[in-house]
Amino acid sequence: VAGIELPHKQWPELIGTLLSNIHQLPAHTRQATLETLGYICEEVSPDLVDQDQVNKILTAVVQGMNSSESNNDVKFAATRALFNALGFAQANFSNDMERDYIMRVVCEATLSPELKIRQAAFECLVAISSTYYEKLAPYIQDIFNITAKAVKEDEEPVALQAIEFWSSVCDEEIDILEEYGGEFSGESDIPCFYFVKQALPVLIPMLLETLLKQEEDQDQDEGAWNIAMAGGTCLGLVARTVGDDVVPLVVPFIEENLTKPDWRQREAATYAFGSILEGPSPDKLIPLVNIALNFMLTALMQDPNNHVKDTTAWTLGRMFEFLHGSALETPIITQTNIQQIITVLIQSMKDVPNVAEKACGALYFLAQGYEDAGSASSPLTPFFQEIVQALLTVTHREDAGDSRLRTAAYETLNEVVRCSTDETAPMVMQLVPLIMMELHQTLEAQKLSSDEREKQNELQGLLCGCLQVIIQKLGSSEPTKYVFMQYADQMMALFLRVFASRSATAHEEAMLAIGALAYAAGSDFAKYMPEFYRYLEMGLQNFEDYQVCAITVGVVGDICRALEDKILPYCDGIMTQLLKDLSSNQLHRSVKPPIFSCFGDIALAIGENFEKYLMYAMPMLQSAAELSAHVSGADDDMLEYTNSLRNGILEAYSGILQGFKGSSKTQILMPYAPHVLQFLDSLYMEKDMDDAVSKTAIGVLGDLADTLGSNAGPLIQQSVSSRDFLNECLSTDDHMIRESAEWAKLAISRAISF
Amino acid sequence: MAPHDLRRPFKRPAISDQQRRRELSLQRQAQNRRDAQQHARCLASTLIYLQSPHPESTSEPQVEVEDEVELETE
Repeated sequence: VAGIELPHKQWPELIGTLLSNIHQLPAHTRQATLETLGYICEEVSPDLVDQDQVNKILTAVVQGMNSSESNNDVKFAATRALFNALGFAQANFSNDMERDYIMRVVCEATLSPELKIRQAAFECLVAISSTYYEKLAPYIQDIFNITAKAVKEDEEPVALQAIEFWSSVCDEEIDILEEYGGEFSGESDIPCFYFVKQALPVLIPMLLETLLKQEEDQDQDEGAWNIAMAGGTCLGLVARTVGDDVVPLVVPFIEENLTKPDWRQREAATYAFGSILEGPSPDKLIPLVNIALNFMLTALMQDPNNHVKDTTAWTLGRMFEFLHGSALETPIITQTNIQQIITVLIQSMKDVPNVAEKACGALYFLAQGYEDAGSASSPLTPFFQEIVQALLTVTHREDAGDSRLRTAAYETLNEVVRCSTDETAPMVMQLVPLIMMELHQTLEAQKLSSDEREKQNELQGLLCGCLQVIIQKLGSSEPTKYVFMQYADQMMALFLRVFASRSATAHEEAMLAIGALAYAAGSDFAKYMPEFYRYLEMGLQNFEDYQVCAITVGVVGDICRALEDKILPYCDGIMTQLLKDLSSNQLHRSVKPPIFSCFGDIALAIGENFEKYLMYAMPMLQSAAELSAHVSGADDDMLEYTNSLRNGILEAYSGILQGFKGSSKTQILMPYAPHVLQFLDSLYMEKDMDDAVSKTAIGVLGDLADTLGSNAGPLIQQSVSSRDFLNECLSTDDHMIRESAEWAKLAISRAISF
Repeated sequence: MAPHDLRRPFKRPAISDQQRRRELSLQRQAQNRRDAQQHARCLASTLIYLQSPHPESTSEPQVEVEDEVELETE
């Protein structure tokens, strides 16, 4: 109730009334009051509660946690309430004395004899580490001692929170270092305090010890989470935070344990190795990988323990993910060992599902490393057929649906297709009827239980995804496209049948595949439109699964480019729906920029026929332009979104202007020209455009001059900043911006020469 | 006040192939859109060139713009 009433200031006395309960004698009243305060802090936004009341809440909560409180239920309720109230405590955390007091009480609570209180207190520390990272310095030594003791001695729920504290500190430092590239400029909001780096000599041994506390069969249980898993995950984050420094501290542990008779030691050593493969430099890691690779391949084949094999396959995957690819100077996969690697991975795909899944994953990254190799011969060519066959066999395993194995196999098949070359294109072509047949079979299945139906939909999604990748690959070169298109009719019929299911994922995948097909088919796609149109409309109406809506908007663009003016009969319906989408408060905001871009696609396709939509589209564009012109004080996410919105609006203007080019009706665009120029002016003045927006914006200036010609000349000359903007773009290093600017220069010079 | 779930992704790649399929489609669409616009502009530029009575003197009327550019680049 408070969540509804407080925002409307309809229950101002609530918090005061609750606080008056705090001094009541019955413990259960105090407990219930603290719980209620906790719920309120969880529900209500901090800016709706006055600082004065925040202070009182915090005082009450901290008092409830204090040693003077003898009732453990009250203490627990107070600790949980503090967790929720932390977001309210900005001002209090800026005050040294108040912060010291809160931190002392929290740290004391981590030593409570009551497990649930200790756990709740550590949860508070985790929340503090992310919300108030910059205030941690005076306490970090004490917190380290407390967490180390908990990880070593305490019960699992508490130890997990203690590890999570360090994972959370890593998250903060990774974010800070990524943002500032390691150099704190003084202008940055929060400096990196390098807590992880300083704690390294003691933190690493502590984490390595947790790795030996695995549970039997944890890999078979999707919901499992235990201290070994948390420790290894934290070790991975530490490696990303500190890079090279982690290596010498972990290598002795790996060396010591990798060949031990106890599976826990072998697994822990392997997991430690896999965990540190992201972060340190290739120079540090490649020599180690070169030594370990052969050992790992043997272990994957011969280790008697499934757990060890699972982690080994995962570690191989990490080696290929981070240390194999055309960007790296020294290859870890060579002519000499590639045969053995692939043989082992294929063999391992016959292992138990969790191991086979990781083997597929390793093959995924192995293939990915060759993706940029170009159309020349690929080192994978000799193994292509064998790999594809092995993956298809995995998809048919009876136990493939019980885990993520089937998904992993199809995803790997996709990656193998992506990195196929001209040499292997015929083998990819052979896959087309096979995958279509699989999809056909899923559509024929009848009388399924709801569980089976869900699995079936998942499989349809995977098969549509696979076909999408194949279409994109074979459609990208003329000879293969020509052969491939013989399957187009059948394929389209299958995709349309997928829309009969109710699965958003299957719809999304089918829609993506259809977009790829439209691009490949070009104007021939027109024949599918009468049947496809209703599903297109359905996708555009799908507010709930906004990803489906977003993808459908993109597909409208594909179809516009494929059909050009043949899309005209469908435009009334499409435009009506897109305008509705834009006006909706329900639709996720991320879909709106692509809708504007899509206006541009439609206009470019149908040219002057866009006239009848101008009266609806232009006011929408203008009001969005006004909103997006100024974003002062916005955070990074908001600025990124605003720039994508600006880009969408500008792409719409570009498409509309270019669409009308050469028509007898260009003059109906004149009334809109001042607004477009004003928008460009204000973007230039704001100085916060990203490069993509600059490129599109300067292009629009050219399109305006080109389409409106001499009529636009004087307007452009009057425009406050277009000349400065143009000059800036002409002298930039970014060749895409320069290219657009050259165009604008040419078009403007033409417009003002009349 | 539900206890918050602290499980993190365990032995999973950071990005799924489904997400990649989405991203690659978006990239392809953005590229196709750029190509379509580029094509439209190329046609327009050729037209400008062909229509101009003195192709070699197209730079004359843009003195203002040109001067600025030269000043900046020099």
